[in-house]
Amino acid sequence: MTAMELKYIRNFCIIAHIDHGKSTLADRLLEFTGTVDKRQMKEQVLDDMELERARGITIKARSVAMKYTYKGQEYELNLIDTPGHVDFHYEVSRSFSCCEGALLLVDAFQGVEAQTVANAYAAMEHDLLIVPVINKIDLLHARPDEVLVEMEQSLAIDPADVVRASAKSGIGIEELLSAVIERIPPPTGDVDAPLQAMIFDSHYDSFRGAITYVRMMTGQVRLGQKIRMLRSNKTYEVVELGQFVPQRKPCTVLHAGQVGYLICNIKSLDEVHIGETVGDIREGVSTPLPGYQQPKRMVYCGLYPSDGQDFDELRDALNKLSINDPSFEFQPESSEALGFGFRCGFLGLLHMEIVQQRLEQESDIDLVQTAPNVTYEVLTRSGETIDIHRPQEVPDAGDIEEFRQPIVKVNLVLPTEYIGAAMKLCQDRRGSLTKTEYLSPTRAMLSYHLPLAEVIYDLHDKLKSVTRGFGTMDYEVIGYEPADLVRLDMLVNGNKVDALAIICDRRDADRRGRAVVKKLKAEIERHMFEIAVQAAIGSRVIARETVPAMRKNVTAKCYGGDITRKRKLWAKQREGKKRMKSIGQVDIPQKAFMAVLETGETK
Amino acid sequence: MALAPTSAYVHVPFCRHRCGYCNFTVSVSADSQAEMYLLALQQELNCIDDIYPVDTLFFGGGTPTHLTVAQLEQLFQTVYERFPPRADAEITIEANPEDIDPNVCNVLKEWGVNRVSLGVQSFSPNKLRQLERYHTAATVDRAVKNLRGFCDNLSLDLIFGAPQETVPEWQRDVESALLRDPQHLSTYGLTYERGTTFWGRRLRGDLPTNDESMERQMFETSIDMLQLRGWNHYEVSNFSQPGFLCRHNQVYWRGEEYFAVGPGAARYVNTQRETNHRSTSTYIKRILSGVSAVQESERLSESERLRERIVLRLRMMEGIPIAKFESQFDCQLATVLGSTLEEFQRRGWWEICDGHLRLTREGLMISDALWPYVLAPQT
Ligand SMILES: Nc1nc2c(ncn2[C@@H]2O[C@H](COP(=O)(O)OP(=O)(O)OP(=O)(O)O)[C@@H](O)[C@H]2O)c(=O)[nH]1
Ligand code: SF4
Ligand SMILES: [Mg+2]
Repeated sequence: MTAMELKYIRNFCIIAHIDHGKSTLADRLLEFTGTVDKRQMKEQVLDDMELERARGITIKARSVAMKYTYKGQEYELNLIDTPGHVDFHYEVSRSFSCCEGALLLVDAFQGVEAQTVANAYAAMEHDLLIVPVINKIDLLHARPDEVLVEMEQSLAIDPADVVRASAKSGIGIEELLSAVIERIPPPTGDVDAPLQAMIFDSHYDSFRGAITYVRMMTGQVRLGQKIRMLRSNKTYEVVELGQFVPQRKPCTVLHAGQVGYLICNIKSLDEVHIGETVGDIREGVSTPLPGYQQPKRMVYCGLYPSDGQDFDELRDALNKLSINDPSFEFQPESSEALGFGFRCGFLGLLHMEIVQQRLEQESDIDLVQTAPNVTYEVLTRSGETIDIHRPQEVPDAGDIEEFRQPIVKVNLVLPTEYIGAAMKLCQDRRGSLTKTEYLSPTRAMLSYHLPLAEVIYDLHDKLKSVTRGFGTMDYEVIGYEPADLVRLDMLVNGNKVDALAIICDRRDADRRGRAVVKKLKAEIERHMFEIAVQAAIGSRVIARETVPAMRKNVTAKCYGGDITRKRKLWAKQREGKKRMKSIGQVDIPQKAFMAVLETGETK
Repeated sequence: MALAPTSAYVHVPFCRHRCGYCNFTVSVSADSQAEMYLLALQQELNCIDDIYPVDTLFFGGGTPTHLTVAQLEQLFQTVYERFPPRADAEITIEANPEDIDPNVCNVLKEWGVNRVSLGVQSFSPNKLRQLERYHTAATVDRAVKNLRGFCDNLSLDLIFGAPQETVPEWQRDVESALLRDPQHLSTYGLTYERGTTFWGRRLRGDLPTNDESMERQMFETSIDMLQLRGWNHYEVSNFSQPGFLCRHNQVYWRGEEYFAVGPGAARYVNTQRETNHRSTSTYIKRILSGVSAVQESERLSESERLRERIVLRLRMMEGIPIAKFESQFDCQLATVLGSTLEEFQRRGWWEICDGHLRLTREGLMISDALWPYVLAPQT
């Protein structure tokens, strides 16, 4: 292998706002290069996870090696399809380290949206060469000329560079491939230098153990070679290596510039680290790469095994999943109401939902989830700063010097006619406008500083509804600011239920308190006795509802044929509720733990 | 070994049509099936190891009176061979007012039936339509008149809590029933069971349902009305004039054993509870091919039997005569019930009165919520 041959490799990813057609474009590229034959082709062939297909979105980045002959020369093109949703941005940023270029897709009808801007900037910061593409030009309402202006205004893209394509009808694919080869620089990296490869992803296979995805930086790796993980300092033998086409295709050597996978018989889950460097077996020969920065977890919630399930099973499931998704974190915690479980941090609500569903599907686990919350900061009277991952951890009011909340910068991209509605939305949530920018005569970008807690739960949905689906948003944390926050406790028959506490702005406390107790009242079934549901700040009760005692619950007929069935039914009711230890204890249904998200806003 | 049961139940799975709220084992329109059913029943009875004279015999359904006169004769003939009624036996049959004509009455009389339970449900045309019953108050009167010719122990079934029913309407139904001078009344709150058309309609939301408080008010109203007139409220849903308690049903509620035959019939023999297959055609097929029709069976442990018995007996308003019960079953209620005994007393759900442990009115109303604590002991 020589530097000469590196010339014939191109590594690139496809980035865009959600749904602009990345995975569909990948289909066309795979098809056009003959990587996947027509017979095996299906829509968004790379979205092969059950959840991806069910939801029609990409969740995991996927890499594929393609062979393509251009002007009589065969090239190796390594493509990475990335997810568009903001919650999976960590997947995108990790793939940047494997690439020299990026195809930036913009939907010919939707135009530039918030994630277009965010992903484009991120790619530029990684020094990737950007090939701008207007996709979906086949659409009846496509407005490519206006979109071109938006791209120019917001991202300083030269209109002459833009490729017009349709991933659906296959327009512009050949032109795109030549742009990839002509414009994106080949990888650099000394094939003869010591081995240095970056693990950018991995997944767990119950037969083969961990399968690590690598971008070869320098040197080469061969079948049977011994390697060293530079961070954990553990050594392994390479038992299989290869590339994804898109399924695993073994080969005998990978060299600098290539993207592929290694299987090293790693069975212990805690030995795999995404961001780890694979190096020469001899100590001190290879230098470790900087690795990835941990992503910032935006929301936390408690995950508990539901009735009849095991804490250890849940821990195994979390460990397994974290090999494939390094972006969530988890730590054991316990709750009086729910027993032993984990406090988990996620990049956003969709991410939280996906992790929960993957746990349930991939490990067959049934979960109880507590309401999500963001991380707060408290400066105590004694001068200590503590992170508050869950409301129970808030110290007594008397010990708090300053209560701080995370603030995000939110960029909203929307048609100008909805500016008024969007501004009202942000002002109601105590946002401050920092910038208004026109991307074109009909499109604008508003920047706001807003409390993360006001953004994360439903701002996106609300924005969609006030802009008829045309508004999009993107956000990043910029820091913590002091605020007038309080912990709102929920009491059920006078007992504080730890997993139901919330943190909110003092000005919202009454409204939230009323809304939450009302919701709890609706969720808690009638018991044999009356149940008081209260919201309180400290010892001051600010809202109360009563779940009346059941009035009538009596089987009318219990004749010869009914006895067995009834006895079993009654006996089971007691067994099922392992947490209902004694008479007088209130059974809080699993759904009720989400009641605290109730805001009391008029819908 | 314990004494053999002296009660038997015979299930006759035929009805004119299926009522919207009913999930019993019944067949409609399969009249030709009746002959096969009788054959199978004969076969099932033949397999019982001995002849057992009985003190109570109950023909239930379905609607046994839906059989033809000849079939009814055959039914009695077959059953009496295996379960000959003793001289003072109580022989009950369930009947649909529409079926009761002089011919049927003759057969019943001839075979010694001395108690008839009539499926009246209501006297209000509106409510009867709601319940998908096709008789009228006049049909009931004709039936009562015919039955009175031989039967001085008449029970009427009533339903309360029909969609849109009000408390005064229900009171009128109870009054109307009393005007017919029955010896016994059963009042059932309408329930929605899986597998009924009402269940589906309620899920779809096209069946207005009453709230819990209203149902309770209806239930309490009828208890108060009847007690005021000297009736004995002796089980959750059952009332009698003095001396006319249903002997057969009390066998169930005392936790005693009984035979049972027919599709879906449940028996309790030799500490074993068994239920036959619920489908009439499967029942026939199995029996006629020499296979047992039993679909489920369980043998209860000593402690399960005891706990079940406590529940059943508490559903009788008299409650549990503590001393007698404890010596008969060699147990201590205080031990069996643990802290629940006192806890429920403290909360006013049951009370000890005249040596009996019995439900209070409040306890009765929510009794289903109490049973889990009785069946599964406190830990
Ligand atoms: N008309 C038309 N529709 C397209 C085109 N490309 C993609 N689509 C449609 O747009 C929708 C989204 O396509 P995907 O390829 O899943 O988009 P994506 O960017 O991969 O989405 P995420 O991975 O979830 O961010 C699908 O319904 C596609 O069929 C195109 O060129 N023309
Ligand atoms: S008559 Fe009685 S057994 Fe027959 S379907 Fe109606 S309710 Fe059911
Ligand atoms: Mg996709």
